Amino acid sequence: MRLRPPARALLVATAVAILGVFPLIFSSPTSTSIAVFTLIFMVAACAWNMFAGSSGYIALGHAVYFGCGAYTLTLLANHLGFAAGWGVFALVPVAGIVAGLIAVPTGLIALRARRHTFVVITIAFMFIFQLAAFNLGFTGGSSGLQPPTPLWSVDTYNLNFYYVTAVVLLATFVLTWLVRRSRFGLQLLSIRDDEERARGLGVRVARVKLSAFVLSAIPVGMVGGIYAYFLGQIFPQFAFDPLFDLSIALMAFIGGLGTLVGPLLGALVLESLQQYFTVQYGSSQAYLIIYGALFLVVVLLLPRGVIPSLEELISRARAEPPEQGPEEPGRTADTIEAVR
Amino acid sequence: MSASSLAKAVVDGILTGGVYALMAAGLTLIFGVMDIINIAQGALIVLGAYMSYVLSVHLGIDLFVGLIITIPAFFVLGVAIEWAFMRRLREQDRTAMSILVTYAVAIIIEGLLSVIFGVDYLQLRASYVDSTFHILGFYLPYIYVFGFLLAIGLLGVLYWILYRTHFGRGVRGSLQNRTAAELIGVNVNRVRAVSVGIGVAVTAAGGMVFGATNAFNPSSGYDLISRLLSIVILAGLGSIAGALVAALFMVTLEDVVAVVWSPVWATLVYYASLIVVLSFRPGGLFGSAAVRAQ
Amino acid sequence: MRRGTWMVAAGVLAAALLVGCGSSSSSSSSGGGSASNASSNKSPVVIGTSLSLSGDFSADGQAFQKGYQLWASDVNKAGGLLGHPVKLDVVSDASSPAQVVTNYQKLISSDHAKLVFGPFSTLLTVPASKVVNRYGYAFVEGAGGAPAAFGNGLHNIFDVSLPVIDNLVPFAKWVASLPASERPKTAAYATSDDPFTQPQIPLAQNIMSAAGIKTVYSKVFPAEVTDYAPIATAVASSKADAVVLGSVDVPTVSAFVHAFIQQHYSPKVFIATAGPDQGAAFLKAAGGAKNAEGIMYPNGWYPGYANAQSQKLVSEYVAKYGGTPADVNADVAEAYSVGQAIAQAVAATHSLDNPKIISYLHSGVTLNSVQGPVKFNAQGENGQAAAFVFQWQKGNQVQVLPVGASGSKPPLIPKPNWGS
Repeated sequence: MRLRPPARALLVATAVAILGVFPLIFSSPTSTSIAVFTLIFMVAACAWNMFAGSSGYIALGHAVYFGCGAYTLTLLANHLGFAAGWGVFALVPVAGIVAGLIAVPTGLIALRARRHTFVVITIAFMFIFQLAAFNLGFTGGSSGLQPPTPLWSVDTYNLNFYYVTAVVLLATFVLTWLVRRSRFGLQLLSIRDDEERARGLGVRVARVKLSAFVLSAIPVGMVGGIYAYFLGQIFPQFAFDPLFDLSIALMAFIGGLGTLVGPLLGALVLESLQQYFTVQYGSSQAYLIIYGALFLVVVLLLPRGVIPSLEELISRARAEPPEQGPEEPGRTADTIEAVR
Repeated sequence: MSASSLAKAVVDGILTGGVYALMAAGLTLIFGVMDIINIAQGALIVLGAYMSYVLSVHLGIDLFVGLIITIPAFFVLGVAIEWAFMRRLREQDRTAMSILVTYAVAIIIEGLLSVIFGVDYLQLRASYVDSTFHILGFYLPYIYVFGFLLAIGLLGVLYWILYRTHFGRGVRGSLQNRTAAELIGVNVNRVRAVSVGIGVAVTAAGGMVFGATNAFNPSSGYDLISRLLSIVILAGLGSIAGALVAALFMVTLEDVVAVVWSPVWATLVYYASLIVVLSFRPGGLFGSAAVRAQ
Repeated sequence: MRRGTWMVAAGVLAAALLVGCGSSSSSSSSGGGSASNASSNKSPVVIGTSLSLSGDFSADGQAFQKGYQLWASDVNKAGGLLGHPVKLDVVSDASSPAQVVTNYQKLISSDHAKLVFGPFSTLLTVPASKVVNRYGYAFVEGAGGAPAAFGNGLHNIFDVSLPVIDNLVPFAKWVASLPASERPKTAAYATSDDPFTQPQIPLAQNIMSAAGIKTVYSKVFPAEVTDYAPIATAVASSKADAVVLGSVDVPTVSAFVHAFIQQHYSPKVFIATAGPDQGAAFLKAAGGAKNAEGIMYPNGWYPGYANAQSQKLVSEYVAKYGGTPADVNADVAEAYSVGQAIAQAVAATHSLDNPKIISYLHSGVTLNSVQGPVKFNAQGENGQAAAFVFQWQKGNQVQVLPVGASGSKPPLIPKPNWGS
């Protein structure tokens, strides 16, 4: 939404403040546990959207980087003899870097293709990594691996994970914000709008796409590491999970693909609602039906995702012509003008 | 590794490949031509299997005869899904938002099936499910052979519809340029609804053969989606014959690797070769520019 | 917004709510069975558990739920735990490890469950056991017996069922002890890549090889297979006398059964680690009693188990959920045994205090269950668990091993040809 800078600053400050005090107010382990998983998905969806939302390439294989982060943290913690505790969190950035390094060759190959072919290649990479985790010796195979388990008390365990993940989330959000404001971000948008034309105008398409892809893999790898440490166990089918790919894409779509805060909102609502729903009503057989129906209703009423559809509704209510922010599709001419 | 076990693996691959081609057939239209990433394909297959189960167990209708009922029912279901949900999406969001719609459809189907049938595994039964005939030293199960023929038949019908009828021209035309198609009098909305309907209808047949060759429960569909999507892309967007070739390629390759090397690496080899093929032929094996401008 | 869209949206919601209300009656998570008069004046004790009521493990998860509910209703009829009626609090984890972690925190901290029972499968038991350990609760479970669940330094985890790793040992020893004329000469081993099955196979293979049974096929296959045919065909081509199949579910076993029938191959001995234990569900998938005839499976329990408590459980199950005794699968007994172990610990310690229960369970005491004796070793595995092998004979599950044990009938060997 287009707000004036002071209003925007106020909004951001409020969001950060809520992020900071949430687990102190809703301090039950149930809510903080849901909150940790929600933050993990917010980071993943935000990072995924930085690439997919801006470039228009729907990647369904970011579980590769999530899983690589999870295995990296676990393997390093076990082999370097990290004691369970705060020290292991030092491996979180390492998990992100390893994920980023793996994104270079996989991205190089996948980004040669477009549209449907790209989607399927990313899915194929996901399964290749999952099968490798099942079958390579050092991954523990189907029995998985266990990182050290911190001996924190019930009251602090979730909190510690919450704040570490919250820091990663803030960093990821700042990163996407910087990308969006930069020339690099505009080049990405120009690729989404018309890749051939962008290339013709001198955008180094391959390099820009790959950089965004690698950049988006790093936070996903970091939260993969946090996830493994939080659970205390990783199995190949949960580290490299096709449902993870689908979930982060759905979160971005629900919130608004390509918008800055849409994916955050989508992940916030979807992951917390899903966990809450499952724990609250999962013992009812109708839960899947109602959950699916809610999805359909959202799609029907907000067919472009929450943020863009609301923007549209608001601007229509103000009886003005729909405002076209840089997040709006169909701005080919302007974005390309800006890239020049 | 004896030549005979290799030959057996190839035969197994071709037979099972036919089943996968049948399951992917509807997706060539929905995903390959219509641009809808259909996450519900697996759930629809399982739904088809349950419908065949009801017809054969409760009404005593033969599995293949039952398709006369399930295929039209699925056509109606497809048209309904398109009319209720797909149609309301905006043009430029359609691919992305269709993932949302079809995912929701998939979990609703799973939920309904769990409520109605419970979660215990079932398998369709008929005299020809386990019986075989002996030819050239191989035992060929009738169900796979019938499934294979059904796949060829339905893919043939799809090809005919898409490339030899006025309606098919409408489908292809409306995808290339909606406005132009409307200008020359194509009812784009109707063409799309019917296309999704046909794609879903064909899936009923895939579900029946899946249910006769696999034990299934309401959650069985999810493992199929990625393989079926990859078959359609490997075939090349909109290539109907390619779907059969791609399915045979996928399963035969996996089966041969399982025999000569190890089953645990078979799937990995398939996905790796998929990436290699698509890196050199991004349009797939038989991607044709005729169906749509890429 | 178009009017049609609103109407469709309203229609979708209304339909979903209709289905929801219509089916919610079948999903109550209460203990089932009213508490007797003796216990009604004390406050109920909440026992929490997270089960996979949807998703990959839903078939087993729902069977587990029935087992827990039957136990709760029985214990309430008998006056509850220390006079408190039991209230079972079942939440669903949809087969997801993230959900299971949240669920146990919710059960303990928000629902104030005094005790917790385990989920289904090793994959969910491991993350859950770490959460429960943080709260210092005893974690008694019946379906997380893979080696991955033990030896993590946790003092609070107890598995009432047969340790997975020893599952096939009685079978392998029996095969090795057969007279030379009946003993298989060759064996084929195929196992799914799963923490439940994989550890079992090498142990059996070693025993059988030592007895001179030649291995003619030995492969691991991934948990999700596109096509079982080449593996089954390769096993069939090996013409092995004995087939040892490491399977986790019904579809895997039924795929091999159908492929073997199609290849006209009938091994003399055919055992599968899981799948045939699923009673009627297995028969439906395998294609009837004739195809199941002679198939063996190792387990700690079966519906015909000659144990008075077990017989009672089976008749209660049939009375409550319908069907025949063959419909009761071992998950139900595993779940029921979890409740029994806890109940005995509570009775012996006269308290609902988890540390006391943990030290009691570790004290080397032998408990009873519908699955036979339960005695936990230092890691929490049941070292006394009865290990049986069962065989499908004429549409019934029949105990065949150990030979000569109470209730054992002679095994059918060789396995009759398919469909005969």
